[in-house]
Amino acid sequence: MRYYLRKLAFYTVALWAALTLNFLLPRMMPGDPVDLMISKLAAKGPVSAETRRSLELLLGTKSDQPLVSQYVDYLGNLAHGDFGISVTFFPQTVSTTIAQTLPWTIALMGIATLISFAIGILLGQLAGWKRGSWLDNLIPVTTMFQAVPYFWLALVLLYLLSSVTQVFPTSGGYDVYNVTPGFNLPFLRSAAYYGTLPALTIVISSIAGWMLGMRNMMVATLSEDYIVTAEAKGLKPRRIMTTYAARNAVLPSLAGFATTLGFVVSGSIITEQVFSYPGIGMTLMSAVQNNDYALMQGVFLVITISVLGANLLVDLLYALIDPRTRARA
Amino acid sequence: MRAGSPSSGSIAENFNPFSPTALQPARGIIYEPLYYYNLMSSGDPKPMLATGYSWNADGTKLTVTTRQGVKWSDGKPFSAADVAFTFNMIAKTASINTNGLAATAAVKDDHTVVLSFKKTSFVSGPSVLGDTAIVPEHLWKDKNPATDINRNPVGTGAYSVATFTPQSYELKRNPGYWQQGKPQIDKVRYISLASADAATSALLAGEVDWMSAYFPGFDGLMKGKKELSYVNTPALTTSLFACSSAKLGCKGPQTDVAVRQAIYAALDRDQLNKLAFSNVANPGSPTLLIPGRDDKWISPSVEAKTPQGADTGKAESVLTKGGWSKGPDGIYVKDGQRLSLTIQVVTGWSDFISAIDAMTQQLRKAGMEIKSSQMSWNEWNSRELKGTYQLSLNSIGLGPSTDPYYTYEGKYSSKNTAPAGQNASSNPARYANPAVDAAIAAAAQTNDEAAKLQQYAVIQDNIARDLPYIPMVIGSTLTEFNNSRATGWPTQDNLYSFPASWKAWDNGVVLQNLTPVK
Amino acid sequence: MALSPKLAVGLTLCGGIALFGLLGPLFVGDPQRVDNIGLQPPGNGHLLGTTQTGQDVFAQLAYATRGSLLIGVVVGLLAVILAAGFGIIGAYIGGWVDEGFSLFSNVMLVLPGLPLMIVISSYVQNKGIWLVAGVLALTSWAGGARVLRAVTLSLRSRDYISASRVAGEKTWRILLVELLPNLVPLLAAMFVFAVIGAILGEAGLAFIGLGAGGSWTWGTMLFWAGNGLALRLGALWWFLPPGLLITVFGAGLAMINFSIDEIINPKLRDQTRRARRRWSASKRQIAATEEATR
Repeated sequence: MRYYLRKLAFYTVALWAALTLNFLLPRMMPGDPVDLMISKLAAKGPVSAETRRSLELLLGTKSDQPLVSQYVDYLGNLAHGDFGISVTFFPQTVSTTIAQTLPWTIALMGIATLISFAIGILLGQLAGWKRGSWLDNLIPVTTMFQAVPYFWLALVLLYLLSSVTQVFPTSGGYDVYNVTPGFNLPFLRSAAYYGTLPALTIVISSIAGWMLGMRNMMVATLSEDYIVTAEAKGLKPRRIMTTYAARNAVLPSLAGFATTLGFVVSGSIITEQVFSYPGIGMTLMSAVQNNDYALMQGVFLVITISVLGANLLVDLLYALIDPRTRARA
Repeated sequence: MRAGSPSSGSIAENFNPFSPTALQPARGIIYEPLYYYNLMSSGDPKPMLATGYSWNADGTKLTVTTRQGVKWSDGKPFSAADVAFTFNMIAKTASINTNGLAATAAVKDDHTVVLSFKKTSFVSGPSVLGDTAIVPEHLWKDKNPATDINRNPVGTGAYSVATFTPQSYELKRNPGYWQQGKPQIDKVRYISLASADAATSALLAGEVDWMSAYFPGFDGLMKGKKELSYVNTPALTTSLFACSSAKLGCKGPQTDVAVRQAIYAALDRDQLNKLAFSNVANPGSPTLLIPGRDDKWISPSVEAKTPQGADTGKAESVLTKGGWSKGPDGIYVKDGQRLSLTIQVVTGWSDFISAIDAMTQQLRKAGMEIKSSQMSWNEWNSRELKGTYQLSLNSIGLGPSTDPYYTYEGKYSSKNTAPAGQNASSNPARYANPAVDAAIAAAAQTNDEAAKLQQYAVIQDNIARDLPYIPMVIGSTLTEFNNSRATGWPTQDNLYSFPASWKAWDNGVVLQNLTPVK
Repeated sequence: MALSPKLAVGLTLCGGIALFGLLGPLFVGDPQRVDNIGLQPPGNGHLLGTTQTGQDVFAQLAYATRGSLLIGVVVGLLAVILAAGFGIIGAYIGGWVDEGFSLFSNVMLVLPGLPLMIVISSYVQNKGIWLVAGVLALTSWAGGARVLRAVTLSLRSRDYISASRVAGEKTWRILLVELLPNLVPLLAAMFVFAVIGAILGEAGLAFIGLGAGGSWTWGTMLFWAGNGLALRLGALWWFLPPGLLITVFGAGLAMINFSIDEIINPKLRDQTRRARRRWSASKRQIAATEEATR
């Protein structure tokens, strides 16, 4: 019980720290949304001194409240699930904007992470089993892919596969001309087609990590006594590999997988930027560019909560699977 | 027909023409103004929902005759009452009153409206007539005009909204449109293009028919595609804004008018245009007007155009006359102060940053040192407004009409500035000159072109000498078209409207002029 | 220990690039210098061609290498120092200090790095290399601290440490002389890891326009190339070199890391041959037993 209480306390503190940071950072930034909106309008047409006054009234940004009471209001609003109103997408609320974009990110990144994990674990298992084989020697090569700057690789692939050869579309989440979003086959098919290339780049750049981790755990597990026993019993090597070794070796990777799922949302920022994918990463970037405090806070909060949630889940699962964890705490 | 709009990846539904975040079609395609002002020519405005207007002698009463036979897209008739309602609503609602309109409107008869102003308001004409969307009273009387996103808008324009999703939306033809036989294109789809690269590839792949975006090497990339064409309409003068008034608290060598004149002379604008602006910028004018279009407004007593090549000798002689002398490192010095200037620019504005790279070399030759300082937009803008910068690379915006009054009043009137440390509204150079102030005030009192010209000549003599904004070039506005689905786009020889897809009011005029390709 | 081939290749790659970054800028021209020739492919005195404004790509690459390596090394050092400070000291002293330090590093660990970096660096104005390095270091040390804490906890209870404590050795002496040498390979691996992370992180930040604006790094070079649509215009000489250098440098570091890993964890090193022998032996045995039982 003590273990669970400690964990709960920790995550409460972490959440509080994230919320507070989230509150403070945007307020320390210079400039305000009114200025930004004025300059956007100025690029498109006439702007006069009165424009500023009208926008200040419209956006209600003149806040003379002391910081503390702003902080209390902020926490209160969050408790009601009220993230405020976005300036970029004014007068749309932040919640609506996030609700529109989050599903794209989760679908793309979730599926890509799952594929990368599955293939990586499988290959890592084989490599660890057959030490010194060609597959095992390939591992240092795959780490090359981890050293490639992700966006660079993505841009090169985007260029080759959609501009030069036109195998894949260049940007967006689905074919906006011919299908209507919703649960219909043409839309899902189109979304899958548009998501393939971004997903591919994610898989290529992340697979090596899973492979290496699994391979090293596999090697370590293979030297355990119970494996030797299994061999001595004359079990089929295939059975030893899958049921005896891999099953145990995969545990840390599974934990890692759960944590990674938490980072799915934050990891998508650059992917979405490269492929103009309509997800939450693009939203964060436009919030930053537009000085949109409320939207920035909302997105950052969603990201933080998903990371914290995934970590909490891993901790709880681990304690359930491995009683030693509870004792150690 | 497919139009591209730059966006942040997703589109927020907002067809409220009074909202600063309204979608492009709201102003011009769905809702229309009383008159259309073409910023590409200095001719008379074209009547839209009004057929005539007249000012009284002292400029306090504007009588507008509204067009008859116009219907809203829901079938209800349009009348003078709608116009009066619109202006009264704006005057009542401060948060949408972006032009500071203080007029009361009264219906005289079914097709005549009289707007009464408190003071002489000739200069409000273009924004009242040409920059205000007229909305139907029967639908708007219960709306909150500031925050309503106005789903399924009902306007007088050529199109109405068919479908909307956060990635794209479609407009359909308004069959009862008041201009006979227009529009000819049945459907227009707007898509979001989040980056220059995405826009480029969409254009080259034939996925978009109309978009306005600059991309490097556009000329070469479009050359191979017969169906693509573009129009370049330089309109925004890229200038070095100088915090110019030592009296108002500006600090640095640029407060010396000799330094600003020397920079003006030492710039090699041909090279800047070639290296930073892909050779699509046009020569600007020390009057901050647009040579060609604004020739009639430019006084013969000043240079109409900026010099193109560098005149290092002239720059050096101006500096020497101003009391500067060359230091041991080749940089001019005066009273122990080196002629070293910092230009602020926004991180990622690559053409501007390239321009500064080139400028650094050019000014070095004339004994001036330039340092560039890249910062976020927020910081850059806040320094400009507060006057805590030396030089800032920025552009002069568009006015509601081609009358130079709007630029001069905004950028040079001491009413619109503030001492360094406080926010200046639209005169960040902190230019304050009583002669110019007087001329601006006088120009506002008259509707007579000759009288205005006289005042503008005074202003131009002053600003071409003082150069609080040092014009570099007139930056390009590139608009690209695909002619395989629709034709009739504005061309370089026939600029019947400002062609940019983002330009309010003009976008409606362009769409009405298109014909489908069979 | 003999130099393994992996280590040799890794050291050669990284050493070569480091040398280029160190000495290159001395031999090339001004990377900022513009020229009316505009975008030109390699040749004519420009080893790697020029950018849109006629700047020499090779000169930029030399300065960029220096900038990126500087960021990498600074972040690496800072991250290791922070991780060691919070991880080792906390774990060794124990009690409330440990609780506090470990809570702090765990909180830092779960705060999402990239968004945090984006938010922080959009706050920091006029970003130079040092500020970007600071931001990167701030968001990259926590994982290491957690590992170091675990290892220190286990070392702390070893007999020889207890012995020196009983013998009355000073805490700092135990930490530095008894504990630290055991952690050196781990710290080295951490450093290498942090360097790769920092270089990639900087490149990512620069790509979305939040890098060290006025300075040359591989990231800012790629940003400029991306901005100039270098790929679409076919200017591979502009877009490819910085990315390739990052990749090669990262791969070199990864190989060094492999070698360090094998030092820390002998199992990974020795087993290759032994394992193979064992499997072949057991196959023979299996065959033999099958033979016998038939």
